[in-house]
Amino acid sequence: MKKNFKIISLSILILIQLILFQYLLRVEPSILGWEITNLYFVIIITFSLTLSALLKMISKQYPKHILGVNFIIAFIVILLIYRTIGIYVISIFNEGTTFKFSVVALVSMTLYYYIQKAKSGEEIYLRPIAGLKAIEEAVGRATEMGKSVLFVPGISDLDQVETVSGLILLGHVAETTAKYEAGLNVPVSKAIVMEAARETCRESYLRAGRPDLYYDDMVHYLTDDQFAYAAGVNGIMVREKPAACFYLGKFYAESLILAETGNSIGAIQIAGTGSPSQIPFFVTACDYTLIGEEFFTASAYLSKKPELLGSIKGQDIVKGLIMITMVLTVILHGFFQAGWIEFDIVTLFGH
Amino acid sequence: MFLKRHIPIFIVIGVGLLTLFGHFINHKGIQDFVEKDALQWFEIIASFAIFLGSLNMLKLQMLKIIRKQKNWPYSALAVLGFAFAIFAGFFYRGANYIVISDINESNIIPITEILTEELQLKKPESIPDKIRASEDGYEIPKIFMTQSGAEIIMEKLEIFDVNMELKSKKWGAHLTERGSLFSWMFFNIFNPLSSTMFALLAFFVASASYRAFRIRNFEATLLLVAGIILMLGRVPIGELIPWWVVAILIVFGLGAISAPWIKNRKMVFSLITGGIVLFLGVGFAMGWNQTPPQILLIPVIQDWIFDYPTTAGSRALMIGIALGIVATSFRIIVGIERSFLGE
Repeated sequence: MKKNFKIISLSILILIQLILFQYLLRVEPSILGWEITNLYFVIIITFSLTLSALLKMISKQYPKHILGVNFIIAFIVILLIYRTIGIYVISIFNEGTTFKFSVVALVSMTLYYYIQKAKSGEEIYLRPIAGLKAIEEAVGRATEMGKSVLFVPGISDLDQVETVSGLILLGHVAETTAKYEAGLNVPVSKAIVMEAARETCRESYLRAGRPDLYYDDMVHYLTDDQFAYAAGVNGIMVREKPAACFYLGKFYAESLILAETGNSIGAIQIAGTGSPSQIPFFVTACDYTLIGEEFFTASAYLSKKPELLGSIKGQDIVKGLIMITMVLTVILHGFFQAGWIEFDIVTLFGH
Repeated sequence: MFLKRHIPIFIVIGVGLLTLFGHFINHKGIQDFVEKDALQWFEIIASFAIFLGSLNMLKLQMLKIIRKQKNWPYSALAVLGFAFAIFAGFFYRGANYIVISDINESNIIPITEILTEELQLKKPESIPDKIRASEDGYEIPKIFMTQSGAEIIMEKLEIFDVNMELKSKKWGAHLTERGSLFSWMFFNIFNPLSSTMFALLAFFVASASYRAFRIRNFEATLLLVAGIILMLGRVPIGELIPWWVVAILIVFGLGAISAPWIKNRKMVFSLITGGIVLFLGVGFAMGWNQTPPQILLIPVIQDWIFDYPTTAGSRALMIGIALGIVATSFRIIVGIERSFLGE
């Protein structure tokens, strides 16, 4: 109880600092006659110190099962008090985004909690994902056939999370090709992706102990245009006939053109994307498809790092929470429509 | 290590947090950074990076040509295309136009006739009014790729004793001006090639559908049935299919589903026949010929499939994807995910 009190006290301290901070942002900063920059500095230092004290306290002293609960309680207390007092002060939040912010914070807290839990040694089960298991099989097949492996990281730039996920998987594929001594061909459609992919491949070949097999041009630029890129990759497929094709990134209409061409040359194909409209095409034309969130779990699945695995469990818990929220929303909105309650829950979501 | 690992991670964490909070915090400086500055920085970096990409592409293709590697003529074509695009974009405007002024009222109609005939202009009836209305001279609405092309027209107009000036569109504007060399390349080479690639999708969709619709298991059968209903429901013939055909198909479908559990084939046959007779009997008795129930109309079934099961499935998928993106972003922002840096 005493520890809980400490946490909540620290949280309230953070809250007070937040309010002070928003005063400095929005109200004339004539407090104590200081310059505004000095005040910013003082606030930021005290804020960081309080936050680090809070994090230190909850991450060391608490049993795991109450750690997250306390964290979430502290957050809700902060938010509630902030909202209550915030009415009298000018809010630092954009109007109508408080709910969104609370959700983002709650999701982040949940993910953080499960990451901490996984770090502290809790075993986390991940169901087998056929597409990820098949990567080694596909590269092995290419090696046996004496052919290369083709990796397509999508047509989007590095500002898309799918592209980042694709590059993470490229690292694993490159490590496997280095181990098996198979050729790797990575045509890209964005120059920034080319540089990032080169770095990823270089590191992977180094990690596999085969830096001698790496050369810059295994990752090469084709064009920025969608269909010109599709034509270029198709050309590579038809001419070089790679034994394995990976399509991991963000795709649009070119997905089926690529996957069907890959199918026609008899390559083993593994695809994964976050574009819902392209998933059916990949499912139809590829041997393995990482559907939806499977694609984003790849990094955790392949590395088996506890902090990454923890975030996957957190993600599933959030999904469970979303399901509960959806059911509750339907019920409460039904009650509102029936006239049994006066509060319409849908207004929370901006409707 | 510090330059290659720590600094990039600090940048990722800092910019990530700033971008995330920029959506929520009501501070002009932060919002300006998120909505304008950061995007502009990205554009600038991407613009410079394109040089790296282009040089890499050129280098690879040139090496193929020099070494006479297999299929090197394709590389030669790629290099030629690249050089031509650079030429039309940076070195040759090819966007000439003529401005005529000091035109006598009596010459307006003959000039209009010549322009219409020579340049095949659209809406020639509006040209005289435009000539009269133009104070700084009338710009002939045609872009000439070469100066000699423009000069041919100018020679024909010389007899009217008008003041003519041959001008060129500004650099940059020549890229979008229809009729310039660059736009000619865009509309006559690039566009048809892109459209061809896009059109290939139609054939690929057909072959992919064939593969997906092959009856292998219950799910594939369901997909086939849903696919056929959707295809029929979205074409005019779908509306012409009478209720009793749909009714019979429903009975057949139910029979197919229940058949594995009923071993006696005669029983299956009797059930299906009985079902059809019953369905049709009830239908005719209730006057479904005039007003069939909505559930027996293909377009209505199609709409239902599209609006409910499909939407539900795709939204479930989208929630999963969104959560995956949130979790990946969180891992990147807090610095746990460093695989993209090669770790």
